[in-house]
Amino acid sequence: MDRNIYGYKCGACGHINYPYRMRCRKCGRTEYTDFELVPLPKRGKLLTHTRLHNPPADYLVPTLQLGIVELENGVRVMGQLHMSNPMAGMPVEAKVEVVRRTDYDSFYGMIFYPA
Amino acid sequence: MPVDVEKILRPTDTPLPPFPPKYMTLAGGEHLVVRQVGREEIPAILPYIEALMHVERDFYDIVAARVYAELLAYFRHRVQDEYVLVAQIDGEIAAVVNGRRVDENVGMSYHTLSLRRGLRVGAHAFATKMEYHMDILGQKEVLIVAESPIGFRRWMIEYNLEKRFHIPHELGGCPSWSLTRPLFEAARGSLVVGRRPVPQELLDKAMERILPPSDPPKPPADLLAATRSLYDATGTALMSQGWILEGRK
Amino acid sequence: MRKVYAVGLGITSFTRLEYPLSEIAAYAGMMAMRDAGLAAVDHVYVANMGAGRINHQTGLASAVVDSLSLTPAGAETIENGPASGASALKTGFLAVASGVYNVVMVIGAERMREANNLETTDFVATLTHPIAEYVYGVTLPSLAAMFTRLYMEKYGVTERHLAMVAVKNHDHALLNFFAHLHEKITLEGILDSPEASTNNPYVSEPLRFFDCCPVSDGGACVILASAEAARKLGKPMVRLAGVGQATDTHAVHEREDPTELAAVRLAAQQSFKMAGVQPADVSVAELHDAFTILEIVESEEVGFFPKGQGHLALERGETRLGGRLPINTSGGLKAKGHPVGATGVGQAHEIVLQLRGEAEKRQVANAKVGFTCNFGGFGNNVVCLTFIRED
Repeated sequence: MDRNIYGYKCGACGHINYPYRMRCRKCGRTEYTDFELVPLPKRGKLLTHTRLHNPPADYLVPTLQLGIVELENGVRVMGQLHMSNPMAGMPVEAKVEVVRRTDYDSFYGMIFYPA
Repeated sequence: MPVDVEKILRPTDTPLPPFPPKYMTLAGGEHLVVRQVGREEIPAILPYIEALMHVERDFYDIVAARVYAELLAYFRHRVQDEYVLVAQIDGEIAAVVNGRRVDENVGMSYHTLSLRRGLRVGAHAFATKMEYHMDILGQKEVLIVAESPIGFRRWMIEYNLEKRFHIPHELGGCPSWSLTRPLFEAARGSLVVGRRPVPQELLDKAMERILPPSDPPKPPADLLAATRSLYDATGTALMSQGWILEGRK
Repeated sequence: MRKVYAVGLGITSFTRLEYPLSEIAAYAGMMAMRDAGLAAVDHVYVANMGAGRINHQTGLASAVVDSLSLTPAGAETIENGPASGASALKTGFLAVASGVYNVVMVIGAERMREANNLETTDFVATLTHPIAEYVYGVTLPSLAAMFTRLYMEKYGVTERHLAMVAVKNHDHALLNFFAHLHEKITLEGILDSPEASTNNPYVSEPLRFFDCCPVSDGGACVILASAEAARKLGKPMVRLAGVGQATDTHAVHEREDPTELAAVRLAAQQSFKMAGVQPADVSVAELHDAFTILEIVESEEVGFFPKGQGHLALERGETRLGGRLPINTSGGLKAKGHPVGATGVGQAHEIVLQLRGEAEKRQVANAKVGFTCNFGGFGNNVVCLTFIRED
């Protein structure tokens, strides 16, 4: 099952907000139901990255790779990375998989692989 | 003819290669010297360990109590093939690590006790212990347990130790984890630190005497105050601890 | 708008404290009352972030105002993440400037070490965006690390510069009795020697252990008063002359320019404008160095150095005690400690102390204008304060 992460497209100006906010950041329209859910593209460019050596308690792994990616449509996202040699500027592609597990829940998000 | 009971009670030690001393530079620029100590130096160390048995936080009390027992057992010839390494800064004791050779392939890590806060002395000391088992004794794996969650995260999680839950660790009942040779080789960069040989003046200072720690973890003024106020509904113990710390009578 | 003066100072050690949180807060308040020579105040603000979650105490200000026997004076708890302290000072400033109150006590207090390290890391991570950041396992150090990497690539800041900030602040803290860390560190020990990677391991690449501030408990208090009340008390006339605040997007990836801290720039501009001074007039500053990179970047964004040149000024020794513009003479968050809610007030405490001429071994000669920058979240809510000595 191919999951998606969704952006919130403003009905008035077309700007895609990610993450969700109450009023569009670009035009400030106040119509509550005016956002359209649009699946975010999964390909993009890696902007910056880090390898976190002290991950939160939920993660029983020694390190966690994180990065910020600029997607094809200009929207930027945070994601986990699965790659051995991340470099700023490299093309990446995402799968939406489990990124965090607590005692009872699983949370899905973007995991980027080299494109 | 008197029966020599001691001969029956005393285990026969396998001759073990000694640990060649090494030294490291710490964050503040001082040097840490790690060397092996023989039985004759144990009585000098025991009082420093004893003081830590009364520090009730960060599992110092239980680790110190167990290390005391292990060092005493080593001194009194009641444990087989134990080794003790001591880390010193300018002669002052900064950490004690110990362990045991189970057989030619398996080592048993006992404890890592740091007597100097900050400075990551514990990390250096743990690393030298692993080096002793793997590089000097040439073993294939080391069995490890952790009393504190910090130890668990630093060793079990960080080095991806393998579970050996069917082997009870000699420390008592807790499930063992193992640092295998492949895991050790993969982490060699961070696990084998320090330099040899130790410069002569540093080594001489370290070998001369084991000096008391200058800034060890201290017990709180009132044992009761170390517990949460849950156990002291009036909160009086906490206040009186504060007054003692301020020097009030 | 009336002029507002800082008339009383109180602080606890920033370290691991075994006292209840309300006591930590009240102690700092009591010390400030003693310093000012006051028996009562009109109102109390308490800055704090974790009382409800970590210390099981909500309504902290109500507990503190009674502990200090200041009832029936009004009291509120102010929470703005790590910028709680400066936000509380800003609120106290507005209260006195408006004319509603004459003497206002502003306390910042935090007791983070009541919980274990994993719990406090998670607690601080709740500042991040829950859906776009938190679920990925993002913690504040990882956000700072990604920002640092961009800065290193764009302006040539190196790990050496970060280490220099840590060494400088540790040196300053050795002169500060109340600082958390009294630990001399050297570039050799944390960066150059073969064992440096064990002494100073990566927390989140490229940030290392000594690039991140410790977890501390502590409390600080500054009492603000009208000009009339200040003159009556006979304390040196140190005026809180300018306050500024600005916000930015919650999720870090949505910042317009990921190498900028726009909120810092705007807040500083506002603060300087209100005070009627320029960045070049500042004699001493406390910048929010929860991560060493932040001291460098904030020193540029507030206007002390051109963009991308903060690390060069650091190299030249300009920001050390004795240099042209000493930054973080208290030891900064890195060495003085970071009890989250208390930090903003602790920074103001240091600046007022400097402007009064009471900083002893850390004294900056002829300190006339002081500045603090309190950074909330990761750059999404920043409060800046400007102080001027008037007599």
